[in-house]
Amino acid sequence: MSRVPPSGIELAVPPHPEFLQLVRAVVGAAAGTGSRSGTGGKSPLDPGRVADLRLVVSEAVTNAIEAQGAVGATDRILIRCRVDDEQVLVEVVDHGPGFDPDAVPDLPDVETPERLRHESGLGVALMHRLADGAEVESGPDGTTVRLMIRPG
Amino acid sequence: MKFDVHRRGLSASGSASGASDGLVSNADPGVVVLTVLGDLDMAGAPGLRQAVVTEVADGARLVVLDLTAVDFVDSAGLGVVVGALRRLRAHDGELLVVCPEPRIRRVFELCDLDRVFTLHRDVEAAVAAMDRRAPA
Repeated sequence: MSRVPPSGIELAVPPHPEFLQLVRAVVGAAAGTGSRSGTGGKSPLDPGRVADLRLVVSEAVTNAIEAQGAVGATDRILIRCRVDDEQVLVEVVDHGPGFDPDAVPDLPDVETPERLRHESGLGVALMHRLADGAEVESGPDGTTVRLMIRPG
Repeated sequence: MKFDVHRRGLSASGSASGASDGLVSNADPGVVVLTVLGDLDMAGAPGLRQAVVTEVADGARLVVLDLTAVDFVDSAGLGVVVGALRRLRAHDGELLVVCPEPRIRRVFELCDLDRVFTLHRDVEAAVAAMDRRAPA
């Protein structure tokens, strides 16, 4: 997946949950009204896919807030969004401690009693389920998540 | 809509027993309805978690969580709903979820949580299901 080019929307928010609603609103508006590259073209996504986009972005930024909170990093979280004719690309960049994406454990089956112990960890599964592309690049300086959403 | 949780008590038969006050006695805690408003995400989650903790500590064992007025839910929000179920079951209680909105139901389904929760269309349906489960 290509990087999100710098010509799209860019938003930097403090790592606090209170800003999640703002991020969803901005990304949702960018993808839903077709403000792509200033050409006034139509969004490629129908309202249902815009809702999916809002959800996966919320998951990515929530993870970023948690990651930075774990080490007390106060850097702002960067959200880049680019809408073109065929897709919406979103990049979420944090300055958390990083993690090994392959080491995220699978959740127990939903109907086993152990499953109810897991109140978190659903976010990554949701991102993979809803996005047409989800990439995680993580290192000691932080994590970048790239999400691609295409029409459903 | 700003996030908020409203509380009201119902008698065991499902009729209203007063607004959000202490009219429901501890001896017969009846059914507590928690109505969630706004976005149920990482920002809203602590408020709902605290509301459930308070209800269980006050003796509630049958709780209806009304998500009709929820505008958005993500996995952080669903985590609190799962946690509420676990907390109530640990006290031999039960949690019922009211969720008529397709866009909110969809998130439950995406997380396979529609297999854990029956998503009721309104509070009356949830209370009726509760009565079938544990006749008063």
